[in-house]
Amino acid sequence: MATHTQSFWTKYIFSQDHKVIGAQYLIVGLIMAAVAGFFAYVFRYHLAYPDAEIPLWGTLDPRTYNMLVTTHGALMIFWVAMPILVAAIGNYLIPTMLGTDDMAFPFLNMLSFWVFFLSAVVVVASLFVPGGGFDGGWTLYPPLSVDAYLNTNPDFWKALFSGGSLVILALALEFASMLMGGINFMVTTINKRARGMSFSRMPILVWFMNFSVVTFMFSVGPVIAGALMLLLDRVAGTGFYDAYRGGDPILFQHLFWFFGHPEVYVLLFPTLGVIGEIIPTFSRKPLFGYKFIIWASIVAIVLSMVVWAHHQFVAGINPYMAVFFSVGTILISIPFAGIILSYVATIFGGNIRLELPMWWAVGFLATFLIGGLTGLYLGSNTFDIYAHDTSFVVAHFHYTLFPITFFGFFAAFYYWFPKFTGRMYNDFLGKLHFWGTFIFFQLFALPIFFLGLNGQPRRMSDYTAFETLMQDWHIQFREIATISAILLILTQFIWLYNFIVSLWKGKRVSSDNPWQANTLEWQAPSPPPHGNFEVYPEVYRDPYTFGVVQVNGKQKDFIPQNEKLPS
Amino acid sequence: MQSTTVSLRRVPQGRLAMWLLIAGELIIFGSAIVVYLLLRLRYPEWGAEAAKTHLSLGAFNTLVLLVSSYFAAKAHEASLKKLKDQVLRYLSLTVLCGLIFMGVKSYEYAEKITHGYTFTSPKLVEAGQGAAALFWSFYYFLTGLHALHVLVGLIAIGFIMYYVKNNKHFHRVELVALYWHMVDLIWIFLFPLLYIMQ
Amino acid sequence: MNIFPEAVSTYAHEMDKLFWLITLFAGLGFFITIGILIYALIRFRYSPQRKPMTFRGNTFREFRWVALGMALLAFADFYVLYDEHDTWDKMMQTVPEEKDLHIAITGRQWNWIFTYPGPDGKLYTADDVIINEPNSTIHVPIHKNVVFDIRSVDVIHSVFLKEARFKYDAIPGRTITKWVQFHRPGKYEIICAELCGVLHSKMRNFIMVESEEVFQQWLDELYAGTNE
Repeated sequence: MATHTQSFWTKYIFSQDHKVIGAQYLIVGLIMAAVAGFFAYVFRYHLAYPDAEIPLWGTLDPRTYNMLVTTHGALMIFWVAMPILVAAIGNYLIPTMLGTDDMAFPFLNMLSFWVFFLSAVVVVASLFVPGGGFDGGWTLYPPLSVDAYLNTNPDFWKALFSGGSLVILALALEFASMLMGGINFMVTTINKRARGMSFSRMPILVWFMNFSVVTFMFSVGPVIAGALMLLLDRVAGTGFYDAYRGGDPILFQHLFWFFGHPEVYVLLFPTLGVIGEIIPTFSRKPLFGYKFIIWASIVAIVLSMVVWAHHQFVAGINPYMAVFFSVGTILISIPFAGIILSYVATIFGGNIRLELPMWWAVGFLATFLIGGLTGLYLGSNTFDIYAHDTSFVVAHFHYTLFPITFFGFFAAFYYWFPKFTGRMYNDFLGKLHFWGTFIFFQLFALPIFFLGLNGQPRRMSDYTAFETLMQDWHIQFREIATISAILLILTQFIWLYNFIVSLWKGKRVSSDNPWQANTLEWQAPSPPPHGNFEVYPEVYRDPYTFGVVQVNGKQKDFIPQNEKLPS
Repeated sequence: MQSTTVSLRRVPQGRLAMWLLIAGELIIFGSAIVVYLLLRLRYPEWGAEAAKTHLSLGAFNTLVLLVSSYFAAKAHEASLKKLKDQVLRYLSLTVLCGLIFMGVKSYEYAEKITHGYTFTSPKLVEAGQGAAALFWSFYYFLTGLHALHVLVGLIAIGFIMYYVKNNKHFHRVELVALYWHMVDLIWIFLFPLLYIMQ
Repeated sequence: MNIFPEAVSTYAHEMDKLFWLITLFAGLGFFITIGILIYALIRFRYSPQRKPMTFRGNTFREFRWVALGMALLAFADFYVLYDEHDTWDKMMQTVPEEKDLHIAITGRQWNWIFTYPGPDGKLYTADDVIINEPNSTIHVPIHKNVVFDIRSVDVIHSVFLKEARFKYDAIPGRTITKWVQFHRPGKYEIICAELCGVLHSKMRNFIMVESEEVFQQWLDELYAGTNE
């Protein structure tokens, strides 16, 4: 156990402790979520009331609107979901669940956080450079994102310190940071498991974290190469994506979506892991189909590498190829359906304690189900011709990414809060927060499906130019979505209040294992000290031994992984 | 370290991490090369441009890198026996080869630029040969990215030499050697694609 | 309120039918899964006496229900693919031999440029007529195969005729040839569906579908340069 004294700087700022680094990722992620959420409020308000002055903002011109939408998308995916779901949850839980003291490379871990922090600074700075933030859509499609096309000699420094170039640089830094973090996760998992912790005894969350970083590592290469070429197009005047010089704009779409679609699974896997830990604990029942879930995920990872072009059905790709990608897309729904159904089967027949984390887990299943099933419409190449680039797509991916990011995070937050702070949250405020989030989210996203089906295109600053998109019910639905979005954002203040008050004044937990779970992190003190465990645990069984058993003449309904039974 | 006393297995974790890093790097280069190949198939005129590269200098550079890889392997071998002087000697030779490679590369760049084949080749663009200009963009992009990795490798070897001089971290010689082999391997792919395939 | 805008092209109805087919499958999947979930939450709610089951889903006997769910989804998936194939074939893989009207539609920031074949009836010849102004209206005949060459001069745009369920990207450096046949007269908006810059939301033109005779009249006026 590390006993050396730590100054404030080495303990909280340049810390190499995985828990502090996890908290740092979490804080940066939450700050970025606040920024991106505020942007969402501004442009949603504008969509519902195109001519009105927006409270706390003022008027909104189309360019700024495009910038806000672009930044909202980029921030939410790369600077909110990635750090919170992958980096923060992974950092907190991989070493503790594996029963070890820290990551394999604590220094590299710290370095990857600071590179990430730098990327966050750069992306925020990109909003304030002369010429304004980047407004070409978070997917960065050239030629729009190149600005200077047909310009063989741009002003290098001016082009470099422009919104678009800085966003690309920030993305590059972010990818580098996540690659470093991912290597760390994998090495830790392979190398630092507690004695007795074979692969088949690892908690499903650790499996999913590794799937997440493996998927990231195998898919991110093309977009790094593609983004470098895009940056060169902007700052050096090359013509990689300039059709007039033999380049090809579609090339970038291929490189981007080769990464972009697996990226959804990079974000989904950690949440599936969190849910997969919470459901057995609160159902008091072993996880259904542990091995099946692992194999299904591996199949899904392989498939995810061959589905990217379903984002380009309308982009003039070969129609026969489109059928191939449509089949791939539709096939990938099957392993994920298996995983979701396995979770339902875990709940079925249990003895369900509907504590707050369980509410979030069930809320995730219900909401994500809609997101997954609406993917069927878009996976069908024929219907996608109509639905592509309409609000239907917007509603669909909010129905997937919102539950993944926020239901997943809040489930993890409430579940592990007692462990990592040693205090309990306020249950009533937590339930209020859950129901507010759950209901307002549905009310926000459901109307957008219908607007999209009626042919409302996405990414438009207002629809006043199109008579057929300004019918009364269109306007009303936009208002409902906007008001719900605002209420959804306001609901998060309940959580913030609960978080801060519970952190200082919450009731101290009487047990290190308040949920009576089996995984190793519950065997550490709450909160775990630097080094995590007083005695490093040894593992004797899989993490899901629930169900009534006799131990030493006493009835127990769970046996922790490190408890040695008398033979 | 603290950790190894509690963990189940003891795979050298530096080696593991380096292999993962190499896998990531190969995917980045691999995708850039695939993009190059796809466009190459689309534009047969790139063959004429590729003929303008300096084949003999490229071949010489390939040889230099292969020799440097040999020295890196020898350094690794010596590091296993903790032969400080040998390690330092072989690593210096590796660095020397790397510097020769960079020198030759710079000469090639300078020569091409004076002939108007630059990153953007505005002359070719003005002459309506946009696709030909794109070849040179790829030439500089791929070789430049590779040269950047050579540079990083040289700096890393410098650090390792400093450690070894102070009798520390002999096992890191293996890591930097692995990295250097990867840099070599990438060049072995780039050389035929950019210089020979005419 | 109608879910879809009015269906005015030959394949629009097929696409709407496809929507309802997918909705049937997705709806069944949703209600069955949610039903089981809610049933389980109520039926197996906490009670100190309850002994939870301990199956782990490792044998096929235990796993069959999940397997059944996956099989049903696979069936739904492939049925959709099978069902849509004809529509897909019609829309994408075949451009009709008989091009009654062949127009080039070119995106630029921020309006559509339309190129009509000149009196010789051939596109890309010297006598082509070009209409290049915001908010302009083009005319096409009803019940005829209208073939579009979709292109762009600057950034990526996307032609979206929502009433015709017609949407294809306009990509610089490429020509995408697609067709549509209207079967209802009227004036419809041409929307740009791909973010194309600041005034993306103001990029608007119209298409007027009318009978052959009225269309011919309009075309003659266009050639004479007398219409607005």
